[in-house]
Amino acid sequence: MDSRNSSRPASNPSLQRTAYLDLISTLVSPKSFLTHSQRPKPPSFHPQPSVAQETFTTASPAMDKQQPSSFQQLEKLGEGTYATVFKGRNRQTGELVALKEIHLDSEEGTPSTAIREISLMKELKHESIVSLYDVIHTENKLMLVFEYMDKDLKKYMDTRGDRGQLDQATIKSFMHQLLKGIAFCHENRVLHRDLKPQNLLINKKGQLKLGDFGLARAFGIPVNTFSNEVVTLWYRAPDVLLGSRTYNTSIDIWSAGCIMAELYTGRPLFPGTTNEDQLQKIFRLMGTPSERSWPGISQLPEYKSNFHVYATQDLGLILPQIDPLGLDLLNRMLQLRPEMRISAHDALQHPWFHDLPQLQAQLQQQQQQQQQQMSGAYGGMVPPQQAY
Amino acid sequence: MAANYWASTQRRHWLFTREKLAEIRESFKEKDKVAHSQFPLPDQRLLNIYFSQQLIKLGKRMSTRQQALATAQVYVKRFYTKNEIRHTNPYLVVTTAFYLACKMEECPQHIRFVVGEARGLWPEFIAPDVSKLGECEFSLISEMSSQLIVHHPYRTLSELQPELSLTSDEVALAWSVINDHYLTDLPLLYPPHVIAVMAIIVAVVFKPSQTSFHGSAAPLAGAMRDGGLNILAALSDKNGGGPPARIQRLVAWLAESEIDIKAVIECTQELVSLYEIWEQYSEKHCKELLGRMVKTKNLDK
Repeated sequence: MDSRNSSRPASNPSLQRTAYLDLISTLVSPKSFLTHSQRPKPPSFHPQPSVAQETFTTASPAMDKQQPSSFQQLEKLGEGTYATVFKGRNRQTGELVALKEIHLDSEEGTPSTAIREISLMKELKHESIVSLYDVIHTENKLMLVFEYMDKDLKKYMDTRGDRGQLDQATIKSFMHQLLKGIAFCHENRVLHRDLKPQNLLINKKGQLKLGDFGLARAFGIPVNTFSNEVVTLWYRAPDVLLGSRTYNTSIDIWSAGCIMAELYTGRPLFPGTTNEDQLQKIFRLMGTPSERSWPGISQLPEYKSNFHVYATQDLGLILPQIDPLGLDLLNRMLQLRPEMRISAHDALQHPWFHDLPQLQAQLQQQQQQQQQQMSGAYGGMVPPQQAY
Repeated sequence: MAANYWASTQRRHWLFTREKLAEIRESFKEKDKVAHSQFPLPDQRLLNIYFSQQLIKLGKRMSTRQQALATAQVYVKRFYTKNEIRHTNPYLVVTTAFYLACKMEECPQHIRFVVGEARGLWPEFIAPDVSKLGECEFSLISEMSSQLIVHHPYRTLSELQPELSLTSDEVALAWSVINDHYLTDLPLLYPPHVIAVMAIIVAVVFKPSQTSFHGSAAPLAGAMRDGGLNILAALSDKNGGGPPARIQRLVAWLAESEIDIKAVIECTQELVSLYEIWEQYSEKHCKELLGRMVKTKNLDK
């Protein structure tokens, strides 16, 4: 994902530890660039014994709540590009949390992806976005404390669905929540850029929330420096695949469309292997675009005049379960031309969602039944998750 | 930059009243009277200018986007509301703020390059060891409670350009006024849209002459005083033609908007006082006092 990150050999953890222990000693010595001795508040760095089940103590700076809270670290949930995620428990309240441990690199400092994610999560508070409760600075790492979610959408589909396919009511509810989360990001001028089932988290209440904002970016000032190396290939919008660097909120809508189709079939809609293959898979279904259907397309860096010309297929043929209104919404999300794609705000108003309240009442009943079943079989068999 | 300003951490945690800011600085003094008497530093406003200028120098060397530079300016200011300058190596703080801001604004620079360029500017204050920068970054993030997204007035300016039909000259001038406001405490005192409106008023109403604007601040201060008087005179001149149509339009827009006019006026005054105090500013003097402090206290080690 972050090429700067992944291309670098893993740093030596013991070296890092020494460096940060060194930091602690400088922090308390008067020779340091920052002398904390004059300050009444506790220093922000606490050396911790390295034992199997570590306890992390918050010593947040004055801005946050001063109450130190500690977390018991439980099993590992997943490993990301720049972080390891553990399940954790708040020792005081017993509440489950997800602890995302950020590895620090002496050559890069705190990873940019982590910095971006933390700072965005500090601003974005919404029911459809996973909550960041706290950021804990320990001696050699940064620990993000997130609200606990049971599994990601990928795992959910694998375990819940009929060969990955979900029922109509669940699909509609998930799509509504997904679009609400996206709409909130877009209203706040944030692009997620990496929406995929692995980054959508589900809890037992049937809530879906957006996670992993490591690639998210704010789009404030017009910028022409967007890196075009974002979004997992399968959910990547055609304009990004064609090399456009001026993409906008519509790239998240394309991803949402791909996810919607996958909810119906249980399989990724466009499982491309390379950039070209990805484009071909898209064109084969959606039709090959031309200057006429998409003015300006020939100016895009990856455009080839000899693209194989495919006719547009009816999406309904590969999604026999979808109803006409659902198909209409999906078609509006999967527009090749970015300007033609529906916005998250408008998608939420689409008639397909009109019967959501009734469906949700049904779903609630189902969930109550499921919860009763799950509570019986809930003995440490929690599937791992990676999307924090 | 990102997200909604009204719900932002900037508005909730990093906006101070003048009194609060003064109180914070006074409390630093109270806590370490010895250091304050041992290491007298120039007036806060002069220090503000000095730190900003150092940051601009570093940014120029690395041809950084203005947005990143502006964010770095705000980081330095925020950091020094939490930390006494005399307990820090300001050159390391400035360099780190720059390094972190570049990451945040998606124009990252390699840590070695940043340290190299900072050493080129301040060889006696920046150690070659890059891990110092990483450590200081960690501390900066912590001191700012990971609240790193900064809203700047530039966006409001771009948004208002069509609405107020600002000419490109006016936008350029307002843009430089916004650049200048980072040399003051203003980013900690007022929301970005108030600063932007102030900059637009300065550009449209006072119209300090473009040519004399850069480098020397005095003409602008003068122009703003005179311009202000002219406007007041024009506004109160019931018999005359009144102020020019452009200005009338701006005044009407201001009246309709819900912008805190009093705050805008206070910002304008702060800016005038910046240009006035700039005349007393001596980079050499600041550098000497800070250098003595850093060296005597071994803060660079």
